[in-house]
Amino acid sequence: MQRSNIYILVFSAIMTVFIGGAMSLTSVLLKPAQDKQVELDTKKKILGAVMDISTFKTPEEILDLYKGRVKSVVVDIKGKIISIDAKGNPLIAEKVNAQKNHKIARDERLYPIYMILNEFDSNIVEAYVFPMFGLGLWDWISGYVALESDLNTVKGVAFDHKGETPGLGARITEEKVRNRYKENKKIFDSAGNLESITMVKGEGIKGLSVHEVDGLSGATITAKGVNKMLKEYLGCYQSFIKNKKDENGIAIN
Amino acid sequence: MEIFNIVLRGIFIDNMIFAYYLGMCSFLAVSKKVETAFGLGLAVVFVLTLTVPVNWLLQEYVLKEGALTWIDGSFESIDLTFLQFIMFIAVIASMVQLVEMIIEKLSPALYGSLGIFLPLIAVNCAILGSSLFMVQKDYNIIEATSYGFGSGFGFFLAIIALAAIREKLKYSKVPPGLKGLGITMLITGLMGLAFKSFIGVAL
Amino acid sequence: MKMGLQLTRIRLMILNMSAEATVVEKEIKVEKKPAEPFLSKRRKNIVIDPLSDDNPITIQVLGICSALAVTVKLEPTLVMSIAVVFVIVFANLIISLMRNLIPSRIRIIVQLAVVATLVTLVSEFLKAYSYDMYKVLGAYVGLIITNCIVMGRLEAFAMANKPYDSILDGLGSGFGYAWIILTVAFFRELLGSGSIFDFKIFEALGWTTFPTNGLMVDSIGAFVVLGILIWIQRSKSGYVEH
Repeated sequence: MQRSNIYILVFSAIMTVFIGGAMSLTSVLLKPAQDKQVELDTKKKILGAVMDISTFKTPEEILDLYKGRVKSVVVDIKGKIISIDAKGNPLIAEKVNAQKNHKIARDERLYPIYMILNEFDSNIVEAYVFPMFGLGLWDWISGYVALESDLNTVKGVAFDHKGETPGLGARITEEKVRNRYKENKKIFDSAGNLESITMVKGEGIKGLSVHEVDGLSGATITAKGVNKMLKEYLGCYQSFIKNKKDENGIAIN
Repeated sequence: MEIFNIVLRGIFIDNMIFAYYLGMCSFLAVSKKVETAFGLGLAVVFVLTLTVPVNWLLQEYVLKEGALTWIDGSFESIDLTFLQFIMFIAVIASMVQLVEMIIEKLSPALYGSLGIFLPLIAVNCAILGSSLFMVQKDYNIIEATSYGFGSGFGFFLAIIALAAIREKLKYSKVPPGLKGLGITMLITGLMGLAFKSFIGVAL
Repeated sequence: MKMGLQLTRIRLMILNMSAEATVVEKEIKVEKKPAEPFLSKRRKNIVIDPLSDDNPITIQVLGICSALAVTVKLEPTLVMSIAVVFVIVFANLIISLMRNLIPSRIRIIVQLAVVATLVTLVSEFLKAYSYDMYKVLGAYVGLIITNCIVMGRLEAFAMANKPYDSILDGLGSGFGYAWIILTVAFFRELLGSGSIFDFKIFEALGWTTFPTNGLMVDSIGAFVVLGILIWIQRSKSGYVEH
């Protein structure tokens, strides 16, 4: 059907208004629900590093638990707490974008830390959760590593990834693999130097030290990425850990 | 070095066809002869190298949350990401149109060999896919351009290789039900297997 | 002032257009004398043909990209199928309703715009109500826009047929696409991860040492499974490509 140019212009204009309107409307209407999902996702991952949250069914329960048990701060590379960002707005640990953060130089990054408080006495910190970010085989990987109150023993880990191979590298999110980090693994050696934790090459290996965990067969590059991420970020959090230890009077060993 | 890395990854490891299955429609439809496959491949490289950086600019200065601060500081909380799909596809469609017109004016010879493939490209998933992946990977503009070029070149290599095999295949005895699409899928699988060997290459 | 004038003009335009539309519809109504039964044989065929004899994937070779990308597991495949059926049915309906208004010179971009809007809606809904799926499907939801099946149906069917028929056509093509990718996903998940809908089927049957096939979770598995599926389907329907 041939139509005049004016018809085409008006038609396009009306289409644009309709389509733009429909999309903006959905976006505005769904924004609160979306933000809540993103928030829930982050909080689930943080809590997931220290406890089993599969018993909590509704999102509200998880958010309540988080509200009651987690205190978050943001520190810089020297372990100093920062509370406002460059523009003077208050900094919220949960809002720090790990991927963007990872792209800037180490000593300029923001380092969020989540403290899990005791169920009955909120002055006692039971565990510290450190978020981290790195590269796997295909794309990014991220993790939350929880340390016991001695800031040396690993309490638990949670990993996430963008596109690691299902059944191989993607196994880092499996409970079985995550539990390997819980077997009384330490990040510092007896002299107090940061040793981090290494996922070894190969699977089913016996006689691992306190700084090693069993590997993933067929996913060596993902495992290397995890190791590099842990080493890098634990190094960045080292000053905070040292300060906290001095404060709490924990001997370095 | 990083740039080189991204190009190589795009060509061999993150190959649009073998790793992400993007652009399969034209990959299967236009791979019967090497000559036409060459034309389409070139057009894809061309369009990808142009559209990915343009979409990058769009994402960075218009679409993403807080992108409009260059106009005024108070636009900080505006998030237009929901317009991403429609804007990207509009950019791609109009870029393709633009490229077609420019080529027609400047080089009728090139237009003769490339021209007919350009309209096909607007609906090639590899083009839109690259732009969407570029956003997810959080590249800067130079990285984005090289990513566009790399993935385009990966598609180019894949389609020429397949076309060459299919030209030979014409003289082979293939079971009737497997002729055409069926055998092509199996061959693509085998080619993907070959490309998998590049994963081990440490970059 | 100027704005007001423009608005009135647009309103007039809309009035004109709707008037035109009713005229056209009246013409069609005159042409169609005997009322067609709600589910006539012709209409049944519109739905059934794309399921096997004229399947969009195995016969028409359309929409392969997304067919392969999401089929590692059944669950994301199911979500993807629902999304595609939704987009294809509504895009068909909308384009069919507007088919007499769309200027032919800009019809491709109008079709793309409608599809892109629907896909954006799907993506926003997924993000709001099923965030985990949104993360798994990632960019592939956006790629429904360039799924050749959707554009193909709009151009070939909806531009020339009535809304109700177009809905049926959309359902047919959508389900034709869905059952193929669900079958591919079934075999890939079963052999690649040893599970169905994340339920470890072999472990439940007592076969704990089931060797999962790494190639199946990889893209290669998708190509091979789809190739074999096409072979079987074409042998059955007797379709031969020359």
